[in-house]
Amino acid sequence: MSDYLLDIRDLKLAFKNYAGLVEVLHGISLNIRRGEKVALVGESGSGKSVTARIILGLLQELSSARISGSVHFEGQDLEALALRTRLALRGTKISMIFQDPTSSLNPVYTIGVQFNEVLKRGNPGILERDAGTRAVSLLQDVSIPEPERVLASYPFQLSGGMNQRVMIAMALANEPSLLIADEPGTALDVTVQAQTLHLMRDLVERRGTSVLFISHNLGVVREFADRVYVIYKGRLVEHGETSELFHRPRHPYTRALMAAVPRITGGGIPEIAENSSGFTEPLIDHEVSP
Amino acid sequence: MRRTFSILLSNPLSVIGLILVGTVVFSALFADFIAPFPSHRGAVVDFSNFNQPPHWPNIFGTDLVGRDVFSRILYAYRISLMLGVVVLAIAVPIGVTVGLAAGYLGGWADFILMRLTDVFLSIPPLVLAMSVMGVLEPTLTNGMLAVTTMWWPWYARLVYNVTRSEAQEGYVLAAEIIGASRWHIMFREILPNCVPSIVTKMTLDLGFVILIASSLSFLGLGVQAPTPDLGSMVAEGGNYLPDSWWLTVFPSLAILIAVFGFNLLGDALRQILGSDQ
Repeated sequence: MSDYLLDIRDLKLAFKNYAGLVEVLHGISLNIRRGEKVALVGESGSGKSVTARIILGLLQELSSARISGSVHFEGQDLEALALRTRLALRGTKISMIFQDPTSSLNPVYTIGVQFNEVLKRGNPGILERDAGTRAVSLLQDVSIPEPERVLASYPFQLSGGMNQRVMIAMALANEPSLLIADEPGTALDVTVQAQTLHLMRDLVERRGTSVLFISHNLGVVREFADRVYVIYKGRLVEHGETSELFHRPRHPYTRALMAAVPRITGGGIPEIAENSSGFTEPLIDHEVSP
Repeated sequence: MRRTFSILLSNPLSVIGLILVGTVVFSALFADFIAPFPSHRGAVVDFSNFNQPPHWPNIFGTDLVGRDVFSRILYAYRISLMLGVVVLAIAVPIGVTVGLAAGYLGGWADFILMRLTDVFLSIPPLVLAMSVMGVLEPTLTNGMLAVTTMWWPWYARLVYNVTRSEAQEGYVLAAEIIGASRWHIMFREILPNCVPSIVTKMTLDLGFVILIASSLSFLGLGVQAPTPDLGSMVAEGGNYLPDSWWLTVFPSLAILIAVFGFNLLGDALRQILGSDQ
């Protein structure tokens, strides 16, 4: 258990509304080792993003959320931690990257000011000047030319790809042990997305940061992740090493998901059944039953 | 900043607004130097030269006790502007805090604060101000208090709406995720994004506060004699229309200029700040 950085067991989530309880997650268990890149793949509304929010402890604050199961981070049960300790993890040990980099930066502050705040979060006593030099070197790490100019710019003056790099640099600024990437770069075009993903992979590999990569893009997942979990309607349906899972998908839903990717060589948009009884078959775990 | 000014100067209407506002503020600030008869702002009597139509040196004529109308208008501007600034200086922080809290915190805070705001908005403003002035003494301070009580809900509602939409933005979620406090998110992240709307409304409102304050003193509930006030000057002069027309026309024009100027400037700001987003 201690060799897992993040260990989620039988996590269930339901939202309470006027009509009663709406179940969103039906008991998912996943884990991430140190330095490992794990992908969580599924369609919209399958429960990918709420899982990330539970790890960060954002949903726990919501009075309508009913959560059961356990989330262990670095061997500690997050539920058992005091609120203050749990809050202290955010932005220091755990950080996150979002879909739309441009809206994730506040338009009224320069990148430099926002970078400074991120660095202060990790090291409250940091000097203005030291923060400046650190920000410059972090921006150089994500291959940003003229980091000084970027630090003096407002987010809307930079391109989406630039903002994405800035976000990556900020997310890794405090050397987190876990990076949650929620469909990073979905709002960007494909070439820029590929560049930033390469960059991100290099950076996390060099620093040994674990990544939980949330996506619906199978191509990206295949290139990026070591292991893949496939989630469908709040249940994990298949889990395995990336190459193993992509070469021999065994669950009907995973197969359907792979068939759903349009080919660049043509052949039209694939026909996929909206609902198939096979999709709800139980979890197939390649590591447990090869 | 330079860009803001160049846009401001490219539109003739906003130039007029800027000039009018500039004139009003300038005459209020330097009334002591511009006014030909500075002592006439108080209880001065000069029966040798009373109720005279415009002539040199009394270019706007003299009132019923022989005081220079022009000098009194300059000092009345000073009172009106001060009232406007003080009212907004109190009303805006209250309204902004209520709006931010209701918009960002949501739930019960939203319900209680915004329904309270609705209650204030449902009372006709002049009636509320009149009743406050009626219960308390009709002094300048109470006048400001009365106008303030009816003004903050508009800011609460404005900021509430902007906050609701800004709270959906990614940067708010990002701030929550790195563990920023609610206080930080409300005042450091969301508030700066509300500033354009607030500044625009404040400029527009300065004109309206002056108008409301004049209405109150027109009804005899505002600034009391002998302090010069545009509203009470219009009210007094109204009894002597049309013969002593200068007693009413010049203070009325003074109100018009101030309100019109702030409105044009506010509209110009709205266009400039709106196009930024």
